[in-house]
Amino acid sequence: MWIGLWLAALGLVIGITVGLNLPFTVPQAYAKYMSVAALAALDSVFGGIRAALEDHYDNRIFITGFFSNALLAAGLAFFGERLGIDLYLAAVVAFGVRLFQNLAIIRRHLLKK
Amino acid sequence: MSKKSMYLSISIITMILGIMLAIQFRTARFIEQSVPADRAQELVAELSKLEKDNIKLDGEIEDLGYKLQQAKKGQSQAQAAILDELKKARMMAGIITVSGTGIEVVLDNPSSPSRRTSISIIRDEDLLRVANDLKGAGAEAISINGYRLISTSEIRQAGSFINVNLNRIEPPFHILAIGNPEKLRSSLEISGGLVDYFRDLGIVVKTQTVNSVTVPGYGNNLQYRYAKAVKG
Repeated sequence: MWIGLWLAALGLVIGITVGLNLPFTVPQAYAKYMSVAALAALDSVFGGIRAALEDHYDNRIFITGFFSNALLAAGLAFFGERLGIDLYLAAVVAFGVRLFQNLAIIRRHLLKK
Repeated sequence: MSKKSMYLSISIITMILGIMLAIQFRTARFIEQSVPADRAQELVAELSKLEKDNIKLDGEIEDLGYKLQQAKKGQSQAQAAILDELKKARMMAGIITVSGTGIEVVLDNPSSPSRRTSISIIRDEDLLRVANDLKGAGAEAISINGYRLISTSEIRQAGSFINVNLNRIEPPFHILAIGNPEKLRSSLEISGGLVDYFRDLGIVVKTQTVNSVTVPGYGNNLQYRYAKAVKG
């Protein structure tokens, strides 16, 4: 189990290093969608770690969840923008709450063992 | 197998997440440093509006410049007309020195005292008659001993002297007149005219046509203290 966590941390570090050295940034107009998508992706990863700790990890659910959550969050923000409603707030709140729940559960699992 | 794929996908997914986060960091930092998107759009809209305004105002400048030019043209013409009018008025008022063809008349008392009688002494009315005849013959400017005759000039006996423009003058009297020389002279020398009359009285008279005679302008300050223009 610890290998998974270490791999996750390692992947994150590599990703951040690569990302910081990529030569492009997101255009300002899309920065909002990107931020919500990143939040959703973060939530998915924590969800995956939690599932792994609870031993009902499913690779397909994890991968599809990751992408669909990110796309849904970005789509929601985009749609909200068109409608004039700040729908991305819904994504931020929903994923934020879930993020904390997942973190709490992961913490408990780690402390129990 | 399942574990391996799990590790693999976790690594890949977290890597993707890392990339997303890093890009987001940089974008956020970039946004902080630059103008917000909506502000930029606002400025672009404002810029295009101002550019349009600028074009419109450029057209206006051209239009107004043309008008100004026209007005200036008109102004210079008007100014020239006014100056011309002023010059004419000053000439008519007799306050500027003028010159032209004319006549010079010299009147003097007899040189030898024995021939001086009371009637051979030149009086104001003699000068007045000369001036009157010259005016009748179309004289445009007259001066007596350098004093210009204008509309308010007097020729008046003051004791044994004669005053012109409030200045005392003495013989010999030099009368200058601008006009048609022949006409002026003939008006004085016509038989039975003034020259004959003066000679009968014993006054010395000399008339002489001159190609160029200069009549000085009225030297004193011309002021109306009582008269005021009535608007018609």
